[in-house]
Amino acid sequence: MENILEVSGLIKRFHGVVAVSNVSFHLKRGEILGLIGPNGAGKTTLVNMVNGTLDPTEGDIVFEGQSMRGVPAYRRAHLGIGRTFQVMKPFPGMSVLENVSVGALFGANGGERNLGRAREQARACLEFVGLGKRIAQHADALGGPDRKRLELARALAMKPRLLLLDEVMAGLNHVEIEEVIEDIKKVRDQGISILVIEHVMKAIKSLSDRVLVLHHGEKIMEGGTDDVLRDSRVIEAYLGHKRQ
Amino acid sequence: MKSTAWGIVLAVIVALLAALPWIGNTVLVQFGINVLLLATLAQGWNIISGYTGYPSFGNSVFYGLGAYGVAIAMVQYHLPFWVGMLLGLGLGVVFAGLLGLAVLRLKGHYFAICTLGLALVMTAIVSNLEIAGSNIGLVLPLLRSEVLFYELALGLLVLATLTIFWLSRSRFGLGLIAIRENEEGAAVMGVNTTLYKVLAFMLSAAFTALAGGIYAYYITFIDPVGVFDIGLNVKMIIMAVFGGPGSVLGPVAGAFILSAISEVLATKVTSIASMFFGIVIVIAVMFMPRGIAHLVQHIKRMGWGYFIDNVRTHRL
Repeated sequence: MENILEVSGLIKRFHGVVAVSNVSFHLKRGEILGLIGPNGAGKTTLVNMVNGTLDPTEGDIVFEGQSMRGVPAYRRAHLGIGRTFQVMKPFPGMSVLENVSVGALFGANGGERNLGRAREQARACLEFVGLGKRIAQHADALGGPDRKRLELARALAMKPRLLLLDEVMAGLNHVEIEEVIEDIKKVRDQGISILVIEHVMKAIKSLSDRVLVLHHGEKIMEGGTDDVLRDSRVIEAYLGHKRQ
Repeated sequence: MKSTAWGIVLAVIVALLAALPWIGNTVLVQFGINVLLLATLAQGWNIISGYTGYPSFGNSVFYGLGAYGVAIAMVQYHLPFWVGMLLGLGLGVVFAGLLGLAVLRLKGHYFAICTLGLALVMTAIVSNLEIAGSNIGLVLPLLRSEVLFYELALGLLVLATLTIFWLSRSRFGLGLIAIRENEEGAAVMGVNTTLYKVLAFMLSAAFTALAGGIYAYYITFIDPVGVFDIGLNVKMIIMAVFGGPGSVLGPVAGAFILSAISEVLATKVTSIASMFFGIVIVIAVMFMPRGIAHLVQHIKRMGWGYFIDNVRTHRL
């Protein structure tokens, strides 16, 4: 299977702080790669560099064989990279439908030019994530879980080939988490490759083909999901040293 | 069905306005020209600030450039009025493009302050240009046809409003609103934010410059302090904000209502007239910070609660 994303030697320094330190990994087409690590490990910074909201200090990101160096965020969206934000960024003054329509109008390949068709696509995405009944509401009237769903719908409306999910399940209850897991599986079955940041281990277990672990900005492990989650270094990173 | 009814009502209003010179007297027509030009300026400001979210204090610069375009073409080169309009339009739009690339990187207050400084700089520059009549100004040929200027101003306002109507339901316009609501989010979803912001600034400048061009030929005398007036910029902001920034008709309503009130005050109670716009700002910010357009949509459902709600949410 070919790689849709190849990241090599990625470094991000904020003045003295090294947020991401020499991280390399790849993502195969059609794969779900889990990205885990304690708070402050550099997961979101890594995703920010992949979609172009942040420029790396060093290293390269290759998406579908093309280097992303100097490619602005909006171009990466046109090329087929979509993402959700952990700290959600909806357009509060717009309706839910308009929010998602923006994704359809400007996403992959520059998006759909026709406003009516874009609305139809947006409606379909909202039905898919279970927000079909709330399309006329203002985005800032939505509660937390629905905002997460909106964030996912907006990314899907862009028709990405690579989807970066930054904690879409944080704050959801068990039933809602199960629903989102099923949604993400369906998205993968459409052939979309996914990088998923998540603290909900149940989700990482049932979704990921492989898992990548970051700690203090460094990659401490990469491999099959079960192996990684059982590894003592990973457990230590999350829970600290075992007292003797 | 509802939108067709609206369209008919608006068309009738425009037709009545167009017939005004044959119904009303000269004073009313002169007042009308001023109001129509102010409403056009408010609409120009609405594009870059109401829709795109960048509060511009530099739109009076485009107004001045439009005015000087007409004046220079007609006085220095003896060209017809419409050539001057094209020159003014070109000056305004090109300047907005170049300026936008630089200053649209700034956000919020920083953008406002930067554009404010620009108006002062332009006054100084033009005062030292011989082709623009230095600080003395230029005297244009006299054309005693108020009806023509009135109809031109009305036509420009209708064009500006139709453009904003198109904006409100187009891909381009939705991109601008996305930038206003969350610029980073818009970029990540594929909106070319730099291009869109600069285009919005140029579109805003186009209507503002054309209004300046009509004004120059109508008033027949312009000087740097008069046409690069920051006070004018403040007026367009107050009118647009009072009417409802980011709405299609709000700024027009704001310009009409405020101009009418201030005109009545100026003739009846002169002492209050100069305080008027200050009072309007305070009242608008406290009770209806989102303008008349928003008020009209919500007052039916919320009644007096609308005003109380606004005072509460803004902790006044």
